Amino acid sequence: MNLHLTPADEAFRNELRAFLRSTLPAEVVRRGRIGMHPPHDGDRSWWNRVLNERGWVAPAWPREWGGSGWTHLQQHIFEYECRQAHAPELRWQGLKLIGPVIYSFGTPAQKARYLPAILNGDETWAQGFSEPGAGSDLASLKTSAVLDGEHWVINGQKLWTTEGQFSNMGFFLVRTAQTERPHKGISMIVLDMKSPGVTVRTIPMINGDDSTCEVFLDNVRVPRSQLIGEAGAGWEQAKFLLGNERTSSADIHKAFADLARIRAIATIEQHRGRPLLEDGAFARKLAALEIEVRTLEWSVLRVLAKAPSEHPVGACASVLKIRGSELQQRLTELATEALGPRALREYKREQAFADAVDDPMWHEETPGVTADQMYLRAVTIFGGAKEVQKNIIAKLAFGF
Amino acid sequence: MDFDLSDEQRMLAEAARRYVRERCTLAQKRGLTAHSAGLSRERWAEFAEMGWLALPLPEAHGGLGGGPVEIGLLMEELGRGLVNEPVVDSVVLCGALLAHGDAGGRASELVEKLATGEALPTLAHLEPGDRNDYDVAVATRARRADDGWQLSGNKHLVRHGASATHWLVTARVEGADGLALFVVDRNAAGVSVTSHPMIDGTCAADLRFENLALASDAMLLAPAQAQAALNDALDRALLALCAAAIGSMEAVMAMTADYLKTRVQYGQPLARFQALQHRMAEMFVETDQSRAALFRAVAAVEAGAPRARAMALSAAKWLIARAGLFVTGEGIQLHGGIGTTEEYAVGHHYKAMVSFDKRLGDADFHLLRSSDLFHHAS
Repeated sequence: MNLHLTPADEAFRNELRAFLRSTLPAEVVRRGRIGMHPPHDGDRSWWNRVLNERGWVAPAWPREWGGSGWTHLQQHIFEYECRQAHAPELRWQGLKLIGPVIYSFGTPAQKARYLPAILNGDETWAQGFSEPGAGSDLASLKTSAVLDGEHWVINGQKLWTTEGQFSNMGFFLVRTAQTERPHKGISMIVLDMKSPGVTVRTIPMINGDDSTCEVFLDNVRVPRSQLIGEAGAGWEQAKFLLGNERTSSADIHKAFADLARIRAIATIEQHRGRPLLEDGAFARKLAALEIEVRTLEWSVLRVLAKAPSEHPVGACASVLKIRGSELQQRLTELATEALGPRALREYKREQAFADAVDDPMWHEETPGVTADQMYLRAVTIFGGAKEVQKNIIAKLAFGF
Repeated sequence: MDFDLSDEQRMLAEAARRYVRERCTLAQKRGLTAHSAGLSRERWAEFAEMGWLALPLPEAHGGLGGGPVEIGLLMEELGRGLVNEPVVDSVVLCGALLAHGDAGGRASELVEKLATGEALPTLAHLEPGDRNDYDVAVATRARRADDGWQLSGNKHLVRHGASATHWLVTARVEGADGLALFVVDRNAAGVSVTSHPMIDGTCAADLRFENLALASDAMLLAPAQAQAALNDALDRALLALCAAAIGSMEAVMAMTADYLKTRVQYGQPLARFQALQHRMAEMFVETDQSRAALFRAVAAVEAGAPRARAMALSAAKWLIARAGLFVTGEGIQLHGGIGTTEEYAVGHHYKAMVSFDKRLGDADFHLLRSSDLFHHAS
């Protein structure tokens, strides 16, 4: 057992810090830290290219497909340092969701066609899994794909397609067969979001923005070659995709950044003539969250390092999702608590990204905090709701 | 970074688990509580044979040189079995004091006897009015006498105080700053010992002594040295208690899951009810986080940087104490009425967690300490 960073890890961390310090302009950092969803489009495209030039944009990918060859711990350090430096959040749909599915299950032609464009950020991806009638019970999805010559013809409706309005490409779960066990008839297919019959409609959300969409598919014709792997393999591919998200679902790096932000807010905000940070009751709430975040990090490290455990790793992964998402919510709640009544002002995304306004009544930590709290009400719902995660633990850990 | 156990570590954990399963049943524990103050000399001798009493002691003193990982592995298993023998109080806590680099006087003789099971020392530190070993206003006084020392004071809640062979007593030395540590034989004339049963099945004693005469070699740690040694020893004991608490949580989860699978109500096993499944899942989350907090604390103790170490230990105590009360309390709830009976283990685990919560600083103390440490970081 070795619970410590090696000197090589420490050197790696220092190298990253120097790189981030010298590369990220102040304006990008400011927009990155305010926490609007979706993040600034130009910033994340630029950052995607910068990282890709260094071979750092998809560290977890196999080396032959552009991965960095770093250890899991180095990848963890990388994400932590990027967050601490307020680097733009990359688009994850291509890099973390469909990319690994394509290099694992795709044909050589699919790999050559899609992977380089994902790495360079040239194409952006939309996820089409949920439907109006298929949320937690994803296997009941109804969107159909019927073979017609050399094309699949797709009909149906998808929901919660995050950033679908900005995406060129989509990966969709569709029903290619009516089977006795519903998940056996599901396939994954990729399609051009500009195809005739695809209609994307944004959904106004409680964070004040349109970060997600519904997608209507009306006789959309997709070449056969765009089905991933075998027909009927979609459910396994989707499970693989979600399994790749095991540790990132904890969003531990954002949690650390949020702690720093709460500290910054509570240093500016005053209570009875002293910084709020010095108020005992507030300081203890913050300390409790600090403890829980730093503790969760060690759960993440254990899953990353494949630590031996008497419990199945899948159950431990669900812990990361449950506790990570709960902490995300509590962190933003404490951030708005620190802002007090100033948290009630509604900022629009464009307004928050615009140049900082020098108004002493509205300090620079104000924009984005409340929007983030509203956005993160969804974090215990998407990617497998908290209740579904508890079902998984009950089954895997206890055999219920 | 890797979390894999070495062969020796795995063997240690497996041997402890087997021993606890075979030898440490609830019926035995209840018998020990009733008849021998929660402590079996026979078992203590077996612990010595297993090498557990020498585990954390330095090899130079006849010990096995085990670190926090080895102690954690052992204590988790002992926690599963509600083992009350004073491995933490005597071996981890007093062992760290006796084996401390600055310890002199009779320390080396005692540490060798500790390893073989001949000596069973316990710490006499807390005093009336104190709440927490980390924060004791020591009023006990030591005065130089012609050929030794004279000790006067009251010590409170000395764990296994009546069963111990030696007390390690903290005191202020007249004319010097800081605490010193003395060893007092259990049979010393002039010490009044009042033993009280504790809810976890152990006993703790109040000690009163006035002008107690001690030989000059009774001082183990001098005023300049004892506080740092004490803090280090308390930290190691805290870590060991955290590991035992995780053992309790694991045991409660296992017995509760079994119970839910067999207990039938409304025509089906309780395990089929989602409300109950989700409570078990919440217990699992808390136990998993407790283990993570323990790893963090082990790493910090190994690394040694004082501030990070204090932060990680306080974090672990705060988090694991809360988690332990939650998990064992829910364990009782899911068992229903049987869980509240004395003949069923889950309630004993709950009492073990209440005891854990109150020892070595409660949740409020450690949250406040965490808050202060975070604050000074910024």
